[in-house]
Amino acid sequence: MKYAIAVGLLLALVAPAVVHSDSILAIAIYGFMAASLAVSFNLIFGFTGQLSMFHAASFGVSAYVVTILVTTFKWNFWLAIIPALVVVMILSLIVGTICFRFKLKEFYFAVVTMAFSEVLRLITLNWNSVTNGSLGITVVDKPSIWTPSGSFAISSGVSWYYLTLALLVIVYIICHRILASWIGRCLAAIRLNDQLGETLGIDVFKYKLLSFAIGSVLAGLVGAFYGFYSGFVEPHYFSIPLGLDIIAMVLLGGVNSLIGPVIGALVLTALPHVIELSAELRIALYGSILIFVILVMPKGIVGLLTSRKHAA
Amino acid sequence: MTQLVIGQMLNGVIVGSLYGIIALGVTLTFGLTGIVNFALGAFMMFGAYATWYLYDVVGLPYPAAVLGAVIFVSIVGYISDRALFQFTRGNLVNGLLVSIGMISVFEALVLAAFTTTPKDLTYVLPGALHVAGIVLPKIKVAVCVVFLAVIFGTYLALTRTWLGRAAFAYAQNPEAAALMGVRTGRLQTIVVVYSTALAGLGGGLYASMYSIEPTIGSAYILKAVEAAILAGVGSVIGALGGGIILGVSENLGSVFFPSAFRDAYGLVFLIAILLVRPGGLFGDRP
Repeated sequence: MKYAIAVGLLLALVAPAVVHSDSILAIAIYGFMAASLAVSFNLIFGFTGQLSMFHAASFGVSAYVVTILVTTFKWNFWLAIIPALVVVMILSLIVGTICFRFKLKEFYFAVVTMAFSEVLRLITLNWNSVTNGSLGITVVDKPSIWTPSGSFAISSGVSWYYLTLALLVIVYIICHRILASWIGRCLAAIRLNDQLGETLGIDVFKYKLLSFAIGSVLAGLVGAFYGFYSGFVEPHYFSIPLGLDIIAMVLLGGVNSLIGPVIGALVLTALPHVIELSAELRIALYGSILIFVILVMPKGIVGLLTSRKHAA
Repeated sequence: MTQLVIGQMLNGVIVGSLYGIIALGVTLTFGLTGIVNFALGAFMMFGAYATWYLYDVVGLPYPAAVLGAVIFVSIVGYISDRALFQFTRGNLVNGLLVSIGMISVFEALVLAAFTTTPKDLTYVLPGALHVAGIVLPKIKVAVCVVFLAVIFGTYLALTRTWLGRAAFAYAQNPEAAALMGVRTGRLQTIVVVYSTALAGLGGGLYASMYSIEPTIGSAYILKAVEAAILAGVGSVIGALGGGIILGVSENLGSVFFPSAFRDAYGLVFLIAILLVRPGGLFGDRP
């Protein structure tokens, strides 16, 4: 599996030299961002066992904060990421503290996080003076990086490709390091049996909150870039369907694996473009995939691949 | 001002009874199969479209159209139980995700068939009642009465008939119920289909009051789940109570606070209730 990931990464690194099509690059860029979201979501859902419906909200809040700071207050893009992540962290700590302090289980946790994210969506939708309501904000600025020969604006497809690939790798490595550490073991214990974990001396509340906050902040990091690539932010970012897309990606790829969500996200992002589909049919396809995966292959694509290997 | 408040309260009761009838389906399905069927909103939307089609396009009389819609929705409910829900019994997260997947499929199908253009039923029951200076459209009163009748009828059926007691027995202890001769698999199917029929009826009557579009279900299922949790999942009359509390608090809230946030009042209320009384207002289980 390790070799497969390394080969995949190498292929991704050289791909732009071979592929010159802008539309394929764009699909890859959206795919990388979706994959980063899915990997960070899986930290909360797959590895800690908490069905959070707050992920799209973390993503959206950060996208809005960065965009408002850059377009209205003329901040530097990279500087604006910091307050955005701080805001997401504070929000996720508040929501997480409320949910975990009161020990909300499975379904109730999903409903309460969904309620919080709906409240945030309503605020963005109606706070017209700051968020421009349902129209959203158009983003014309592009982030730039400093090189010895002066500042270089990240505007071309190829530069965004490498930026988002780097984003995915960073998110992936952070999650990998967390899961390989003592924290990861605690999270697994909580997922399997949190009462037993508590008797073993694990501070269940602390580790649940930690996983929720880290996952949400990573989603915020993706949100910061997303608005600048797509060119606009809108209240739709908070919507429940976006949260469901993320869940579908994680389930399709494989819940209990790190690389699974990446595969799931890339497949689901590319699929509608590979087969020409109208918007309605695409939604129907997402739904059918979700149902099919849950009922027929609960371990996702990765589970399918690894079980084949064991059988052979 | 008093008239406005009373009028909004009555409106809240009417909308609340609609939340209540879907919440009843949510509560019954959860009690008997251990899953929360989010697709009930989509079934409601199906009911609304079927009623519109039978009434406006085919030209049946309105009660017959609603009946036809309920039958149609029950058949769809039966098929989805056999094909999907029976494999997710007792697994909450899977059931939740399967039902969410069904919403996307159903909404997309209706979108493809009837487009996003809202559909309006021609007036079913025009006219209004004037009671002490408050104007109440006749159709809303009639709809509210039907909902209340169905919810109380369900309550009676659950407490008085053999099937109802079997359902209660199953909810308390599935294995003991099976040992006492309850066909548990069939009982679960009946409850799932009955809850979709309730949602279909809700949709059919909704169509007579408001214009319908493919996404109406999503808003209402959220409200219904809120109502069911508010009341305490598992309580039949509580589902109605939760629905009415939610409907009234939204309508009264938008009199005194900005109405753009009307959907948020219920949510804030719900979060507060869950934290203070995790079993719900009428529930006793923690």
